[in-house]
Amino acid sequence: MKSIYTAISILCIYLLLTGCVKKEILDEIYLIESIGFDHSKEKSNKGMIVGTILYPIYQPDQPPKNKTLTAEAHIKKSVLQEIQLQSANPIVTGSMEIVLFSKELATNEGVLELIDPFQRDPAVGSGLYLAVVDGEAKELMEGNYGIRGNATYFSNLIENNIKNEDLPKTNLHKFLFSYYQKGQTPFMPQLKRISKEKVLLNGICFFKHGKIVHTISPQEMFFFRLLVDKYSNGLHRVKIDEGEAAIRSIRSVHRFKLTNRFPKEVTVQIKVHGIINEYTGTKVTPKVIDSLQKEFEKEIDEECKKLIESFKENKIDPIGFGHFMKTQIRNFDLTDWTDSQFQNLIVKLEPDVTIAEAGVIE
Amino acid sequence: MKSPLLKKNQKMQELVKILKKSNDFKHVQYMNEQTEEHFSLMFMSTMVEEKIIHESILPFLLEGNFHRLEDVKKIVPLEEIEFSEDPLEIEKKLFNGFVVLLLEKEKNNYCFLGAHKEVGRTIGVPEVEFSVIGPKESFVESIEQNLNLVRKRIPVKDLIIEEQTIGKYSKTKVAILYLENMANTENVNTVRQRLQEIEFDQITDSSYIIQIISDNQNSPFPQLLDTERPDRVSSSIIEGKVAIIVDGSPHVLIGPTTLVEFFSSFEDYFLNWLISSFFRLIRFFAVMFSILVTPVYVATLSYHYELIPRDLLNALVASRMAIPFPPILEALFLELTIELLREAGARLPTKVGQTIGIVGGIVIGTASVEAGLTSNVLLIIIALAALASFTTPVYRIGNTIRLLRFPFLFFAELWGFLGIVLSFCILLIHLSRLTSLGRPYLEPLYPPRRVDFKDALIRLSFKHQTKRPLFLNSKKPERISAKKAKEKKDIDE
Amino acid sequence: MSMSIPENKKVSPFLVFFIINTMQFGIGVLGFQRIIAKYAGYDGWISVIITGIGIHILLWMMYKMLKIVDGDIVSIHSFVFGKTIGKILSAFFIIYFCLLTVMVLRTYIEIVQVWMFPTLETFWFALVFLAVVVYANFGGFRTITGIAFFSIVLPSYILAIFLFTIPYSEFDNMLPIFEHSIKDILTASKNMSLTVIGFETLLVFYPFIKEPEKSKKWGHLAILYTTFLCLYLTVLTFAYFPEKQLQLNIWPTLTMWKIIAMPFVERFEYIGIANWCLVILPNACISLWCASHIAKRLFSFTVRKTVPILALLCLIGTSLLFTRTQINFLSDLVSNVGFYLTFGYIPLLFISTLIAKKVKKK
Repeated sequence: MKSIYTAISILCIYLLLTGCVKKEILDEIYLIESIGFDHSKEKSNKGMIVGTILYPIYQPDQPPKNKTLTAEAHIKKSVLQEIQLQSANPIVTGSMEIVLFSKELATNEGVLELIDPFQRDPAVGSGLYLAVVDGEAKELMEGNYGIRGNATYFSNLIENNIKNEDLPKTNLHKFLFSYYQKGQTPFMPQLKRISKEKVLLNGICFFKHGKIVHTISPQEMFFFRLLVDKYSNGLHRVKIDEGEAAIRSIRSVHRFKLTNRFPKEVTVQIKVHGIINEYTGTKVTPKVIDSLQKEFEKEIDEECKKLIESFKENKIDPIGFGHFMKTQIRNFDLTDWTDSQFQNLIVKLEPDVTIAEAGVIE
Repeated sequence: MKSPLLKKNQKMQELVKILKKSNDFKHVQYMNEQTEEHFSLMFMSTMVEEKIIHESILPFLLEGNFHRLEDVKKIVPLEEIEFSEDPLEIEKKLFNGFVVLLLEKEKNNYCFLGAHKEVGRTIGVPEVEFSVIGPKESFVESIEQNLNLVRKRIPVKDLIIEEQTIGKYSKTKVAILYLENMANTENVNTVRQRLQEIEFDQITDSSYIIQIISDNQNSPFPQLLDTERPDRVSSSIIEGKVAIIVDGSPHVLIGPTTLVEFFSSFEDYFLNWLISSFFRLIRFFAVMFSILVTPVYVATLSYHYELIPRDLLNALVASRMAIPFPPILEALFLELTIELLREAGARLPTKVGQTIGIVGGIVIGTASVEAGLTSNVLLIIIALAALASFTTPVYRIGNTIRLLRFPFLFFAELWGFLGIVLSFCILLIHLSRLTSLGRPYLEPLYPPRRVDFKDALIRLSFKHQTKRPLFLNSKKPERISAKKAKEKKDIDE
Repeated sequence: MSMSIPENKKVSPFLVFFIINTMQFGIGVLGFQRIIAKYAGYDGWISVIITGIGIHILLWMMYKMLKIVDGDIVSIHSFVFGKTIGKILSAFFIIYFCLLTVMVLRTYIEIVQVWMFPTLETFWFALVFLAVVVYANFGGFRTITGIAFFSIVLPSYILAIFLFTIPYSEFDNMLPIFEHSIKDILTASKNMSLTVIGFETLLVFYPFIKEPEKSKKWGHLAILYTTFLCLYLTVLTFAYFPEKQLQLNIWPTLTMWKIIAMPFVERFEYIGIANWCLVILPNACISLWCASHIAKRLFSFTVRKTVPILALLCLIGTSLLFTRTQINFLSDLVSNVGFYLTFGYIPLLFISTLIAKKVKKK
């Protein structure tokens, strides 16, 4: 008898408990995959932000359909609320892949306030990509790219470029990391819509106090990556007298060294292991390889120096020299790092290129 | 006051009166040809072999030199001849296939002649625990045959067989088997005492014994191992365990046991240790999979959409698009369908059962997906889970696992992954509390005993099996000399 | 006053490792990095080591005391202070262990409410959880030890999962070493106490150990292991977050999980948080067991009665805490009481015991 009572009471408690937690059943929610932020174009809404969400409509045996909803509001959370008014199902942020900011908005207004909710929201992962759109975010999101949905296309584009090409590691965590790190400033990749079905990764934008102050081109990205990522890879073309070669850097390592304290001097050793992908000359001889290596080293030295100069000009430090100084010098004061001390910092480069292979043919 | 003799006579008459109500009771009067002694035979015709009476008993009694009851021993060529003065013995012996011989002269002495009729099937192939490699014999219903099967495999004097009779009406013979110099005395005493304490009107099968003497009768986990393989029983006895053989049951009980033993097939010992370890791991994985996969599906789809890899999203959402039910109802519907199929299949003759399985699997599954009642992803998951639950080598634990799925499912519906972990916690506590004949059930996982891991989740080679399981607390913990097993020759020696 | 525990209710000496380790490694682990960094910056890892050494000394003292009286805390108290005062002092321990249970449970529920189910009702979850705790307690000390064992072994895979953060970590965050004063480091050590308290339960379960002398080694190993785990987490956290960002995250351990993505699981933190339920279960079980056991010794009730009553009190206590301020107040209270109890009271008691022993000998 006793066990019957126990069973009945357990059943009662169970029935009381059901529904005490809110459910988010997969097919009854809209999974936002991407959010874009733009400036409002209408004059009456000046200063307002246009938020666009992109969510897929899944269909059996077919690629998902891209669907966008747009609303205007003052801050991000209310953008979502405004959009909610237009959607039949609850909108959830848990599987978001990328957040896009129009370049205009990021340059004038800054992105910090817009990013803050994402680091606060427990549903949003740290692997979220952030990107700047050269143009309008809404327009980019309304295109139709790839067969797996737009957001997946964007994130795959960025992921592939990090894994195999010249784009330095970037995501929400990396952005916040360099934002909060003293003596370092954050950056984001920049996307551009070319046509209705094509997107181009066309540079990296650098931020200071949440606003874009500087942008580099894809050609400079290779060198920037050498400086900012401990391990990196990528492709670069080197021209010598005998011809032109495309050298793929399989693995490169950089090391910072504080070589002098007064005046402060940092030496960056960059080791590149590369293979020749393509060569327009007649034959790859050891001599050619040697001159290719020399030329490559020279280019690294020049280009990197150019990059650092441009950072100094814009008073940004995406590579984190300031942070490096702090780890090397006890009680190092970073309060006016980018404005004054960084300007006087001497950066020396010691590139070391080794070309190992030249493909299957001699 | 009646004299004891009169009393005895009265009892005898009462007994005969009751017995006469049954048609198979025979009471026949005879007279010896030589000595002209009057005697009578009483027997139950259903219990005795009439051939024995006609060939081995009657001719000798009728023609032999028969004066006193004692003479029977000399003249009748039977092994089982017993004497008694107690009329209560008569009833017992009659129903055990004895012929009662009464001599007119000696009214208070009875002679019992064994003439059992053997009805039963012959030894067959194990059906529940079938193995491709290894012995193919399995126990039958007769306790004598079963004991014979075990004795044959352990022909030493240390193998003790203790018999008792349990069951007010069924009078079932139950035997305890153990090796005296090996088994822990405490274990034997526990078994003996628990069997003695049983008060039940019938013991139809060894399953009754399992349920009655289990340490925790409210647990879905079987706390004694049952097997139909004589090889498994004898090997367990040699390990130091205690076996219980019940008359009328082809399943022999082994105890104390542990949870992991329910996942080890006896065939594991016939295969190379690498292969059998691999199979065992697969089995554990299958069991975990079978319990957890449906709850995880329900939890993920109801609460944790964030976890789903984005490549899978399309397939999952698309398959659920048209389904009107929440995931829990969908899962319950399919789980119940599978259970129905299993129940129906188990009750039907083999040939029909197979058809039901195919019809159910293909027709119902496909139809319910097409009708939009369930998603095809879930159909795959549930079918796999059901398949995985049948990988357990011991039938009993398979049932437990199928039952366990449901509390997990309900908790998953309640609190998602948190619910699953919570129910897992409850399961862990329950298992840590369980004992088998007073020995920890989860051993060697908890209490953690490194030595016993040699034959738990994996099975190491026989070279490493130098010790008997620790939890049995055997009198002889060493199985083979560890030193000799580990001896190694140098290369090229 | 001494009691006899049947031999088959005692546990093997090496299981002490799991009991002490699981008591220490509980809810505090999810957020202690922020607290130590608050005082000692990124020198906090030194504080972890210092705390570890401190606990080793305390454990040695406890074993010494327990050996002298050959009993538990109740026997020590009555040995040193006499029966009446001893009983009053022991009664405080009941309250302390109940508070510990409430704190662990309420903090966990808060985490679940913030990260997974905002609408989870504190009362109902606490009811089910405490019912499970009572069920475990009815199994006796051996069952509880079993849970402690599984709560260490089963979730240990999480330790390896932390390695997923390494690609996003910069270990030079911790440089330069010793940038903070000794005082700062010690303050951080003090504030770490919430994470590592729990080993004082030894004072209660000591009589339940077979051959307690042999368990000494395992007790110390447990503390060593806890220190190692805390150090491991500290180093990984410090490398993953810049200092400023760490201060923003209440539960840095959970935030770190947000970066983890595996092919079959996109996000790990939901699994991790659910898994933590198994980690804190023995904490609640052992605390409640200790409380009820002391109550049994003091007032000679049966544990069968004291456990449900104390669980009910804990349930009421847990559901009375609503806001984060209240929860913080409780955890501050518990960590302060815990600190003074372990680092203040135990040495005091140790000295008193030694004196009492000398006096009694004479």
